[in-house]
Amino acid sequence: MKLTEPAELAGRTAPSRVLFGPHETNLGRGRALSDAHVAYYARRAAGGAGIVVTETASVHESDWPYERAPLAAECGPGWAGVLGACRPHGTLVLASLGHAGSQGSSAFSQRPLWAPSRVPDVASRELPMEMETAEIRAVVAGFTVAAELTVDTGLDGVEVDAGQHSLLRQFLSGLTNQRGDGYGGHGRTLLLREVLAAVRARIGAGRVLGLRLSCDELAPWAGVTPEHAAGIASDLAGAVDYLAVVRGSAMGTSATRPDSHTEPGFNLELCRQMRAAVDGAAAVALQGSVVDPGQAERALTDGAADLVEMTRAQIADPELVRKVRAGQAERVRPCTLTNQRCRVRDNRNPVVSCIGEPRSGHETTDPAPEDVAATAGTGTSRPVLVVGGGPAGLEAARVLALRGHRVRLVEREAELGGMLALAARLPGRARLGALAGWLAAEVHRLGVEVATGAEANLTGLAGEVIVATGSVPGPLPYTVHGDARVLDVADLLRAPGTPPEGPVTVYDPVGDAVGVGVAELLAAAGRATTIVTQDQVVGTQLALTGDLADANARLQRAGVRLAKRSVLRAVHPGHVLVTDAFTGTPTELDSATLVHCGHRLPDPAPVPGHARVAGDRVAPRTVHEAVLEGRRAALALVSAHRRSNSGEHSRATTGVAL
Amino acid sequence: MTATGRYRYLFRPLRIGPVTLANRVVFSAHLTNYAADGLPSEQHAAYYAARAAGGAGLIITEEHSTHPTDWPYEKLIHGFHPEVVPGYRRITDAVHAHGVPIFAQLNHNGGQASSMYSRLPVWAPSPVPDPMFREVPKAVTIAEIDEIVAGYATVAGHCRAGGFDGVELQCSHSSIVRGFLSPATNVRTDDYGGTLANRARLLLRLVDAVREAIGPDLALGVRLCGDELIEGGTTIDEAVEVARRVEATGKVDYINTSIGVATSTLYMIEASMSVPPGYAMFIPSAIRKAVELPVVGVGRFKDPVQADRALAEGHADLIGVVRGQIADADFVGKARAGHATDIRTCLSCNQECVGRMGLNRWLGCIENPRTGRESVPLPMPVRRGRRVVVVGGGPAGLQAAATAAERGHEVTLLERRQSTGGQVSVAASVPSRAEFLDVVRNSLAECRRHGVDVRTGLGATAGEVRALRPEVVVLATGARPQPPYWKGELDRVVDVRDVLEGRAAPEGDVVVVDDLGFHQATSVAELLADRGCTVRISTSGMVVGQDLGVTLDLETFNVRAAAKGITQTTDEVVLGATADGSTGGVRLQMLTHTTGSTTEVPCDWVVCATHQEPEDELWHELSGAAGFEVHRVGDCVAPRRAHAAVIEGHRVAAGI
Repeated sequence: MKLTEPAELAGRTAPSRVLFGPHETNLGRGRALSDAHVAYYARRAAGGAGIVVTETASVHESDWPYERAPLAAECGPGWAGVLGACRPHGTLVLASLGHAGSQGSSAFSQRPLWAPSRVPDVASRELPMEMETAEIRAVVAGFTVAAELTVDTGLDGVEVDAGQHSLLRQFLSGLTNQRGDGYGGHGRTLLLREVLAAVRARIGAGRVLGLRLSCDELAPWAGVTPEHAAGIASDLAGAVDYLAVVRGSAMGTSATRPDSHTEPGFNLELCRQMRAAVDGAAAVALQGSVVDPGQAERALTDGAADLVEMTRAQIADPELVRKVRAGQAERVRPCTLTNQRCRVRDNRNPVVSCIGEPRSGHETTDPAPEDVAATAGTGTSRPVLVVGGGPAGLEAARVLALRGHRVRLVEREAELGGMLALAARLPGRARLGALAGWLAAEVHRLGVEVATGAEANLTGLAGEVIVATGSVPGPLPYTVHGDARVLDVADLLRAPGTPPEGPVTVYDPVGDAVGVGVAELLAAAGRATTIVTQDQVVGTQLALTGDLADANARLQRAGVRLAKRSVLRAVHPGHVLVTDAFTGTPTELDSATLVHCGHRLPDPAPVPGHARVAGDRVAPRTVHEAVLEGRRAALALVSAHRRSNSGEHSRATTGVAL
Repeated sequence: MTATGRYRYLFRPLRIGPVTLANRVVFSAHLTNYAADGLPSEQHAAYYAARAAGGAGLIITEEHSTHPTDWPYEKLIHGFHPEVVPGYRRITDAVHAHGVPIFAQLNHNGGQASSMYSRLPVWAPSPVPDPMFREVPKAVTIAEIDEIVAGYATVAGHCRAGGFDGVELQCSHSSIVRGFLSPATNVRTDDYGGTLANRARLLLRLVDAVREAIGPDLALGVRLCGDELIEGGTTIDEAVEVARRVEATGKVDYINTSIGVATSTLYMIEASMSVPPGYAMFIPSAIRKAVELPVVGVGRFKDPVQADRALAEGHADLIGVVRGQIADADFVGKARAGHATDIRTCLSCNQECVGRMGLNRWLGCIENPRTGRESVPLPMPVRRGRRVVVVGGGPAGLQAAATAAERGHEVTLLERRQSTGGQVSVAASVPSRAEFLDVVRNSLAECRRHGVDVRTGLGATAGEVRALRPEVVVLATGARPQPPYWKGELDRVVDVRDVLEGRAAPEGDVVVVDDLGFHQATSVAELLADRGCTVRISTSGMVVGQDLGVTLDLETFNVRAAAKGITQTTDEVVLGATADGSTGGVRLQMLTHTTGSTTEVPCDWVVCATHQEPEDELWHELSGAAGFEVHRVGDCVAPRRAHAAVIEGHRVAAGI
């Protein structure tokens, strides 16, 4: 495989052609990198990443785009730690250096934002100050000093950020650069050229200089187009060792790292175009939802790219490269591209993680299920029954089997996957099915005895058991009159090919991907569809995944009626009654069927007192909690078994990790 | 008459259990986001100490979490970790140095939380998801209830060890105890659900356990919600009954009150200036009639006279003044000294206190640049007595002048209008926004107090500035409206400021184009609707006035807007405008950017709430000028909101 072959850059050798790209993690301490950063990157290096590019560090104190944004001046020890942890694996470690300009935040610095011109950011609407000569010199000096620090730290090089969230892109773009001086008009690339020259002068020819460049701002009326970008790339290729081709601008923040509604590998043609423009003067890296090793390999062999950035894929499975190299590509835990846990640009500062691999981002605190040595040689394995074949039960069975236990898994339905498999039937969410499929395949591979279409009899059961039987529909917080039809979302998804006839109303008090997806599914089937939410915007929880604006636009384009700030009161045959969330004003909406997408309740069936429970059976939440709790239940059982075998006193637990 | 004699009740001492308060003003519990790694910080100590130094009668800290399952926001104090005790001691020592008692608030937020930080199931009485967090909680078992009770006792012990004079149980607006008390969130069928006696069982167990943990020498308070303002929730009659049962334990020393549910009706807990002061007074009033215990009343108390009147009228025994003391740490001291007019009165704008809390940022204040920065010393002045000329008397210039003068400089402020205030005066000219004017009234008063030479009606040229022979010049020259490119020659396309400053008087059908998402568009829309116009607000965003959500003005605005017939359209951008020859009005070409569809909207007037341009001519003339330093602050750097102006004015002046 070309993907796993070494790559030469500036005389240094990356052990594979796979990049772990710069991304926000919220793992920092203050504005420095933390031990959690070190462990997070080291795990990807150990798994075979060719190049790790650390989280973008601000080169100047005028830039503080999010609370935990690293500041280059404080990153020396952290970079050294990452380097020390990654070097044993041969992985090259580069520091991403940047300045977010008008896409930053004044909330933490309490200072004006800097920008080429006074153009407010689309999202924050905050007006930046127009940089004068002193500020421009300060930015160039910031890159210079930061580059020096990377050299002092011993890093393999620097990646300069002119990607989506960057001041350098803002200077390149007609959307944001309206200057009349030498840095505007035909001089829009001047600042980038000055920065690259300053960085190269500090790091020398023997260290890697990469450039992350937005090559299509998707705003052809004034933004950088692929044609412009090809010119820039061609001009600057001699100055850099590699070019990471990305797209997007402040106009559409989801464009750069979109969720599964955008095709994986969407930058392939753009990357190919840039590689042609660069014409061998620099390596070119493909970015953009590349999560399938096969697609990555084809990009290399077809000549679209020299390197492939697979960031989310390595968040989902840090051992991606190692598994591919071992000929076990099918064993790579798939990235679902939901962005639910790995996209963390949010005021709450969530720590980067993964729905399928909850240890990601928590490397310093969570035990590794794969660490088989931790429980090896502690006596005979024990039979364990796992009830429920959804993500919680599958993960529990997987981990128990990994740790050498004999596991029997019983699933009531004919297929494994539970709600995860059902959710995969929603438009744009098919990749959830890949995770369900991977869990099932691993369980089979590890020799778990699987019984589907079978009920487990828990009465009087004395042996070890983990119960992960999921949820049941929740209460309906509205009145249902006569023979008005209310359809639970799970029932709809069990037969997605035969949606109800007539106008349909989707009741969505949650605001996540389900209600939106159901409305899209119904509209695509030709139903007159209304989605009802108490919020001012449909799908509010999608702000975290980056799909909020896109989802609302998709619904509008599909002709879905958006009944916003509407509280559902009653369902009648032929219509539903909603009231305005602020004023109480009632409105009737035509509707033959209501699809209920409300919160669910745990399966109420009793379980033996000694059983361990996990996932929706505890409280119906998302797949992330299901996997996390399935894993924890399995590891707790393994630990208890180890303690009893070794004669340790077994401390009673309440399921709460203090 | 002595200064305190102006107030009949405010400065009467009061005993609550074993603790005696010197006056009736409480700095009630509120979140600050000052914690780091779950521990109280140096900033906590400095923040509370400043209010103690300022004369508060009692300080109650923000909540201390009692259990690992409770972690609804990032910067929560994890009271259940023994490591908190040294931090507690730092806080209590700093406050006690000023002779002021301090209590700690204990809490478990229950279902009003998510698992984002804890990575554990959320605990609640019943699996009823919170309206904001939207995560289905786990209904706690009896064993888990026992664990909760034990957690409170443990944290109460930490508080005792940390030197607190008492503890308060938050059972009011965001709490598992509220969750149990409220029929809206408790649907249990065991001994903890159903009857009020059952729903109050957890509360009464906590009172027993905490009293046992703290012993007789510390005060114990219970904070109750008098009206949840949600469907099926607790209302005042039941709250009064709960207060009676709390009193009947004989183990509690006072009752604190609140209104609303933090994750549902927060806009009534931390009400903005659109809600009348004293709006929650009916709650302590009703409870005080039913119990002998001292009762604390809260709800937008902005000045000491208002607080004294509420005491005189018998509504409460103590008054919680939170935002009033966030804005001015010396609120009580100034009142006691007879200088109540010197108090930097809170605006209830919610921009930098409540607003920053909701965004996971440290607590600040729009008009007090030191709030949130108490632990960070200001730099020493480079040299005292420098001649400073400030140009512009808006919020940035006034703050710069006040700070510079306070720090010993000789300051002249030049304002070209007849009065100071700048755009704040304009913004506050709308009826529901009148209290916003306090931001400049307060800083002007400080300028006067510190001897700033304020000269109005003087438009300063570069030559005139030089003629004053300054050593330092601070330019705060503000901004001017910038017409959108599509205005062309259309007279009936005007700026918000044109309307508020009286240069334009739109009539008939008016479209307000909102590029800013804050009060500008909604204020002018209300004003014009009041004048009889038919108003539509159009935004390219997903919500009209989206940032009003942050300051808790969105709900009240929408209720008023509906009553005034103001309509709202979203996802729209203006592509162009033409004169409508037949009506004299304007035809707007609108693009719905989500679908690509275009429409033409006829109207009589268009009012634009759009970004302004800096008035920075003086900056370009003077910057780099030999002989004196030149700084610029506020909108003449980049037109932003008032807080940016105040903070920059302060920072630049503090560095002179």
